[in-house]
Amino acid sequence: MTTAVVIQDLRYAYPNGAETHEASWVLRGVDMVVDEGEFLSIVGPTGSGKSTLCLALNGVVPNTTGGRMRGDVSVFGVNTKKHPVAALAKLVGVVFQDPETQLFNMDAEAEVAFGLETMGMPSEEIGERVDWALALMGLREMRDRSPLQLSGGEKQRLAIASVLAMTPKVLVLDEPTNNLDPQGKRDLFTALWDLRQSLGLTVIMVEQETEFVAEFSDRVALMRDGHLEIVGPPATVLGDVERMREIGVAIPQVTEVAYCLNRDFGLGLAFTRFGEALLSLEAKLHES
Amino acid sequence: MKAEKDPSRFAAVCLEIRDLWFTYGDGQDVLNGISLSIAEGDFVAVIGQNGSGKTTLAKHFLGLLRPTKGEILLHGERIRDRSVGELARQVGYVFQNPDHQIFGTTTWEEIAFGPRNLGLSAEEVERRTVDALERFDLSSEATKPPAMLSFGQRRKVSLAAVYAMDPHVLILDEPTNGLDGRGEKEAMELARTLNNTGKTIILVTHRIRLVAEYARSCILLAGGRVSAYGDTRSVFEQDDLLKSSNIELPQVWELGRQLAPRGFLQPALSVGDFCQTYGELLKQTGFRNAGAR
Amino acid sequence: MLADFFMRGDSWLHKTDPRVKVLSVGLTLAAALILQNLLMMVILWLLVLAVPFAARAPRGRIRFVLSALVPVSVLMPLVWIVFYPIGVETISFWFIEVKLLSLVQGLTVVLRIHIVSFAVFALLFSTDQTTLVRGLVKLRLPYVWGLVLSLALRYIPTFERSFADILQAQKARGLEFESMRGWRRVRALMPVFVPTVISLFRLSEQIGIALEARGFGAEGVRRTYFRDITFRTLDWLYIAIVVTAVGSLFYFNLKYGFGADPLRLVR
Repeated sequence: MTTAVVIQDLRYAYPNGAETHEASWVLRGVDMVVDEGEFLSIVGPTGSGKSTLCLALNGVVPNTTGGRMRGDVSVFGVNTKKHPVAALAKLVGVVFQDPETQLFNMDAEAEVAFGLETMGMPSEEIGERVDWALALMGLREMRDRSPLQLSGGEKQRLAIASVLAMTPKVLVLDEPTNNLDPQGKRDLFTALWDLRQSLGLTVIMVEQETEFVAEFSDRVALMRDGHLEIVGPPATVLGDVERMREIGVAIPQVTEVAYCLNRDFGLGLAFTRFGEALLSLEAKLHES
Repeated sequence: MKAEKDPSRFAAVCLEIRDLWFTYGDGQDVLNGISLSIAEGDFVAVIGQNGSGKTTLAKHFLGLLRPTKGEILLHGERIRDRSVGELARQVGYVFQNPDHQIFGTTTWEEIAFGPRNLGLSAEEVERRTVDALERFDLSSEATKPPAMLSFGQRRKVSLAAVYAMDPHVLILDEPTNGLDGRGEKEAMELARTLNNTGKTIILVTHRIRLVAEYARSCILLAGGRVSAYGDTRSVFEQDDLLKSSNIELPQVWELGRQLAPRGFLQPALSVGDFCQTYGELLKQTGFRNAGAR
Repeated sequence: MLADFFMRGDSWLHKTDPRVKVLSVGLTLAAALILQNLLMMVILWLLVLAVPFAARAPRGRIRFVLSALVPVSVLMPLVWIVFYPIGVETISFWFIEVKLLSLVQGLTVVLRIHIVSFAVFALLFSTDQTTLVRGLVKLRLPYVWGLVLSLALRYIPTFERSFADILQAQKARGLEFESMRGWRRVRALMPVFVPTVISLFRLSEQIGIALEARGFGAEGVRRTYFRDITFRTLDWLYIAIVVTAVGSLFYFNLKYGFGADPLRLVR
């Protein structure tokens, strides 16, 4: 298994007066290894440094933001401190929360082509790549549409398409489902899962929707106060109800049910996904 | 949490909407003949897909949008000829994006803005601002510029700013968007507290869990029309309607429904309810290890 | 707004290279400034007006531009007649006597405004923003300026929406401004301007990060263009016609005073 991302004792503080009002360390020693093709979700309360971590993966932190950084971030062996952001963009694609500020071209086609033009790709090749990326995200018919005419879900898909066109190996997403309705959220998670399957993409996603996280992720990383509290399979991380509650992160409802039933009736239940929950609960009823 | 249904409490009608139609000039965002009434002191959720008209409907309640056809009555009086400023005394609207409101040099100024616009005396403005700061736990930020606070705190500031106007009806448009688990819980508990003091709460949201746990009544909009409306439980029971609006019901509800063949009587709206019902079911089916450990 | 003028289409004008159009607008403006003769102005006006018509611009749009010009079209000649009576000859309308020269000059100014408006309109309705900026960049506008211009055009509607939302949010807090005028009104609207400006800063910061994440700013890489523009034979022909026409006009004007006199064709 190839390693996609290695983060070693990452510490970071924004320069005075930016992001956080105090010049304190937003990241305080993060250690993490992500395998190629993994679907990793990062959860944690606001202010725990999740967004900063995303920006550290493509070098915006520290190359653009300045500030102080200790430790290292390497993506497929490329150290983010030693390469400009533009170069890292070919390896790591980042999709942000607000599609509005990422779709800065007049129409979908121009948007997808933008990154490729910036890279200096020959015009004929751009055409093929644009077709591919639009088709991949189901946006072929939206080719000529302005971003202002797209729905929330379509906007996010376009943002992803315009990043994917540059064929990065790692796709980082910072709370991409925030402004989507529940169906849109599900569609996005499904699309990302499919991308991982078909392209072998490594997906790193910051999310609040722990129910979807449980359903789709290989591993979950829980952050608190700038460091990684725990990384592991969803069952381990999200299943630790007391820790999750203490940190203040939402827990999948079925997991809360397991906790409740265990506490009140001494059952040994453990599940984080709806399917497993239903089976377990049915089984317990049968056991009499 | 038991679903509190006390019909006598809701005898009075707070907002009545009579055959409301609305179109924007370019034909966008349409409401097609909505009629319903919202009871005094109720906690109502407005749900529906993006584009179903939730926010458009809510904006009518304080005159930010005016009907193309139809009437809206607030406490029995038509709002047609009343200005937004006048209606804002009674109907508060907390916008989805707190940054669309925040402009003050200090949090104090931000919160005092609303009461000042209402023409209240300086003492009253001060009293309300202090009260709002305390209730939303913002007293320590009173002298700081609100634009510099974290998102969660800016969210609280915008809530406090509308609360300080002491409206009778409070409309919350996706109030928990962008908040983490704890922030969401705090915001919703505040809403519940305000509801308990008698304010009518109208919650426009996608978060179906919140609807299940906090809303007594529910309005489902689809294509600018009312698709379902009534107490939360009865709306949830119309799953074909919810499905066609792409709404996924909370996990506990679905669990309850799927366990119905095993004797699970009524799907639960909250985790607590579910566990209680499930526990009873276990006892009934003679589960012997109950209580051990 | 600028952003709204473009109408999709397939006309000869749409297909013309934007550089030809931009240069033509510039040359037309020069011609309109140098001409003083009323008859010639009318001819130029008809020629310019003919362009959007020939390119099948929606009549509604043309009417819109015309109707927007009505106030100035009526006011200008009146201002000229009343405030700048010059010349000797007069002309009578019922019982009012006006100086012919003033009237003619007033009308000339109106026509000049019309010509510029329609020339720019022809440019904007037949050129989408991306292509327009591309044309300007090829005319030696630095790429970054072109990008800034594109971003500005792209985000104008976003701004309008933000502003409208903020206005509503503050109205919902009892903001009053409708009854005020002038400076008082501006001050009353500060709770709307401030969040708008703040959101502008936030927006530009995020756009900057998004641009970088898309590889912008790489050193030593030459940017390519997917939808590039190239001159066709027709484009050379068009520009040749315009340059010749305007060039000749200038020549005859400077050498022989052709079109310099308001009333007579040649001095």
